[in-house]
Amino acid sequence: MRKQDNDVILRSMTLVIFFIILTFSFALFFGGHYTPGGGFVGGLMTAAALILIIIAYDMKTLKEAVSIDFKKLLNVGLIFAIGMPFVSMLFGKNFFQHFHTYIDIPVFGKTSLHTAVLFDLGVYLIVVSVTLIIILTIGENE
Amino acid sequence: MAIQILINVLLALLWMFINNSFQVSSFLFGYILGLFTVYIMRKFLPEEFYLKRVIKILKLVYVFAVELFKANLSVLKIVMKPQIDIEPAFFAYPTELEKDWQITLLSSLITLTPGTVVVAVSHDQRTLYVHAIDTKDVDESIHGIKRSFEKMIKEVSER
Repeated sequence: MRKQDNDVILRSMTLVIFFIILTFSFALFFGGHYTPGGGFVGGLMTAAALILIIIAYDMKTLKEAVSIDFKKLLNVGLIFAIGMPFVSMLFGKNFFQHFHTYIDIPVFGKTSLHTAVLFDLGVYLIVVSVTLIIILTIGENE
Repeated sequence: MAIQILINVLLALLWMFINNSFQVSSFLFGYILGLFTVYIMRKFLPEEFYLKRVIKILKLVYVFAVELFKANLSVLKIVMKPQIDIEPAFFAYPTELEKDWQITLLSSLITLTPGTVVVAVSHDQRTLYVHAIDTKDVDESIHGIKRSFEKMIKEVSER
């Protein structure tokens, strides 16, 4: 892919659009229990926001911005997704049985805490890291 | 401008904490009172009073909406003609804007007004290459439009 002569329009637009995509991906992730969305779509949107940085700038800029080893992040996500069922076993429940409580946080009011969020967080991290590992591996293959 | 808006928002939050009422209406009332306070202290704060620039931005939005309407009508006229006799052409448009976001805004405004599309920006960011749908008589008027846009963007961004 030959780059255009001057990417000034794309780059300054990226500075605006990146925040909107990332915020929307968080909204998809946290709205997954009651509305369409969840860990998978949220992870894909986050990966898309990071890929937009690669398209507008280059790999080096992404490495400076997000200095995360995505292979390690993949392991963290797998630990979340596999650890959650074992945690529910520790409490004497069935494997993979979710449980939830309601907690009164001073500012937010009555907040429901659900263990499915932890599992979804694992899915989210796995999707982000797998997508970016694929893209970066193909892209760096010069 | 940004620091003044930040001060204004902090004053509105302070107003909410003083009155112990955390509603949108309370925030808005505090914001209006904070606006008054910032106006009094405008000489001691950096840059000019920020409402001036907000009004200029609103003016730019209004001019852009009018131009969008007019330009769409002119393209509609071209499309509905029985014999289309247009002379498309590229022309280089010299710009005096310097910052990246100014050039991006100008390019977006030029592209969104039909009949003209920005295809490239030169390396030194001094020239925009524009493709126009009809250059017979529109060239001068296009330049007039661009001058107005560019002038307004300069007005918005001046300190």
